[in-house]
Amino acid sequence: MLATLSVETETGLVSKAQQGDRSAFGELVRHYHPVVVNVVYRMCGDVQLAEDAAQEAFLRAWLHLASYRPQSSLRNWLYRIAVNAAMDALRNERGTPGDLESVTAADQHPGPEAELYHRERARQVQRAVLSLSESNRAVLVLREYGDLSYQEIAAALEIPVGTVMSRLSYARNHLRGLLADLEKDYD
Amino acid sequence: MIEHVTEWLGAYLDGELRGLRLRQVEDHLLECAACHTELEDLRSLSKLLKDTVPAGTLTPTERFVTNLTLNLPRRPEAPQYQKAAEILWRLVPVAVLGAWIFTQTVLAVSTLVSTANLTGLFGNAAAWLQSGPQHTEWFSATLSLFGSNLSGNARALLDVLDDLSIFRLSFTTQLAWQAVIGVLYWIWLAVWWNRRRTITNPYFS
Repeated sequence: MLATLSVETETGLVSKAQQGDRSAFGELVRHYHPVVVNVVYRMCGDVQLAEDAAQEAFLRAWLHLASYRPQSSLRNWLYRIAVNAAMDALRNERGTPGDLESVTAADQHPGPEAELYHRERARQVQRAVLSLSESNRAVLVLREYGDLSYQEIAAALEIPVGTVMSRLSYARNHLRGLLADLEKDYD
Repeated sequence: MIEHVTEWLGAYLDGELRGLRLRQVEDHLLECAACHTELEDLRSLSKLLKDTVPAGTLTPTERFVTNLTLNLPRRPEAPQYQKAAEILWRLVPVAVLGAWIFTQTVLAVSTLVSTANLTGLFGNAAAWLQSGPQHTEWFSATLSLFGSNLSGNARALLDVLDDLSIFRLSFTTQLAWQAVIGVLYWIWLAVWWNRRRTITNPYFS
């Protein structure tokens, strides 16, 4: 869960960063990196690709910070850039399968069998997510991993709220079809 | 026949339903086992997705921040004339709004003066209204009220406005001016929206 950065602190950091203060921007990156890289990773399914896309996303944010208006959410603005950077990274790496080996489950001390099981489960989940089209995946990722509301997703991806709902519904049904067995085990 | 709420379950799970729809779904879930199961499936899927985390092979935040801040490029600064143009651009709606308030005020004052004159409220004091047919009522009224206190520049401005006959008490003229102001404002709004879409979408391949 993302620790809260007070509005005043964030606004102050943004203002300083907009004037070219690198350390203020660094503070913002420090705060938002975990969530941004998670969203990017879910979009890419590959650690190296996600690292590159996250770096690219923050660079774009730095270069275009002047266009950011504090009235809107910085997190959502970053997500929007991050999703676009992830899509670009995927297009550049088209054909390269996701690094599914790098996915694992959250269990802290699993035994060898459990570890194998969780690893396999994680692999299936990530493969299922990657089987979605980019547009459906972006909506799902921003909802499930970015924790954005439908309205925020609509604004981030510049699509109507109705489209968010229909894409999300399609994505979930698709995943349920692919992950039915895992879901049963998971109840 | 029971009408299921399957299509709304995702939105319900995400806390996106409000009002009547929310109550409808909640009531339905109390009595429909099928929809309840469907909702639990969706909840399980969400949990499964969230619980599957990447291995710790991602660069730790601190190192990422250090690498990134060291490699941040120099941000291109906007030239001075561009900044000035941006400020002027932002002042356009203020100017348009000022023009609108001005015409509205003038219309109100003109109507008031004209009505008062017609009903004889001004009595003899209104003689000036007939004295200068070459002037607008608005001009005459202003001159009468502030004539001796007006500075040279203010008087010159009044003369110009009077010569232009912009603010004659004519409903159609006023309407035309308001339409022009409205169109200007909408044009500005359209351009602003278009710029905003391009500027705030940092989708730079």
